[in-house]
Amino acid sequence: MNWTASWGWAMNDAAHPEMDGLIGALLHSCSEHVLETMFFAPILEETDPAEGDGRNRVASRLHFQGRPSGDFEVDADPAIARSLTAGFLGIDESEVTPLQEDEVLAEFCNMTCGSALSSLGQVEYFSLETPAPARESEFAPAVDGVRRAFLLDGGTLAVCLRVDFDRS
Amino acid sequence: MALQILIVDDSPAMRAFIRRVMRLSGIEVDVYHEAGNGLEALVQLLNHPIDAVLTDINMPVMDGETFVRKLRAGGPFQATPVVVISTDATAHRIQTMLSLGAVGYLQKPFGPEQLRSELDRVLGVGHE
Repeated sequence: MNWTASWGWAMNDAAHPEMDGLIGALLHSCSEHVLETMFFAPILEETDPAEGDGRNRVASRLHFQGRPSGDFEVDADPAIARSLTAGFLGIDESEVTPLQEDEVLAEFCNMTCGSALSSLGQVEYFSLETPAPARESEFAPAVDGVRRAFLLDGGTLAVCLRVDFDRS
Repeated sequence: MALQILIVDDSPAMRAFIRRVMRLSGIEVDVYHEAGNGLEALVQLLNHPIDAVLTDINMPVMDGETFVRKLRAGGPFQATPVVVISTDATAHRIQTMLSLGAVGYLQKPFGPEQLRSELDRVLGVGHE
């Protein structure tokens, strides 16, 4: 689905105040699709993104280049990172290693960002750089963009996308 | 017919997921071979009778685009079916990979049904 086309916007409408709403809705839709299809984890409800700030979180961040360029970040409760990893790999949570958590959160980062960019419309091309894992006892978002958080079974997960339309 | 499948992805987690989804899809696979980039994949192709290749695009050392280009440049693997599995579903990327010689394109996220359908199409239903 081409979101900007279906909503009647073009890339040069990036300064439109409702653009954040569009990207937020897109983040919700893409996160939900990725979580249900590949992690077998449904979103229970949308929650306050600031809830995870200052807490112990597992994160992954990537930069993407192209037209447009930008950044994407995901952060999750450690318990969610563990359960998503177990669901993705089809193993028991007790078998999950920190390295596997980093790899799987990186895959979530990759897929959700790629899925959002592919659906955004008028994105000519993009290249995702390798996601960088992070574990922070007092998490603070590193990406200043549109952020959405979701309650899953056992904790929260947040995603944030910044699209630099002007620098493309 | 049981297949020999080569999975090319720099993420061990994604390779494990693809194996899992292949099992869930009911596709009968004899042996899974794996490679972390295009160069390793070329080595695997030289050493094993691969029936189909599932490859990512963004990888270190040799990316999926270069890998498919080399595969189709000549030699014994020109006819080996290659299905691209990528997060990138822009028309530009899909067109590039198909024009290079990939015969299928699957966007992540995907489930067992989509993978089965794509492999059935590429290899022929029943894989005969």
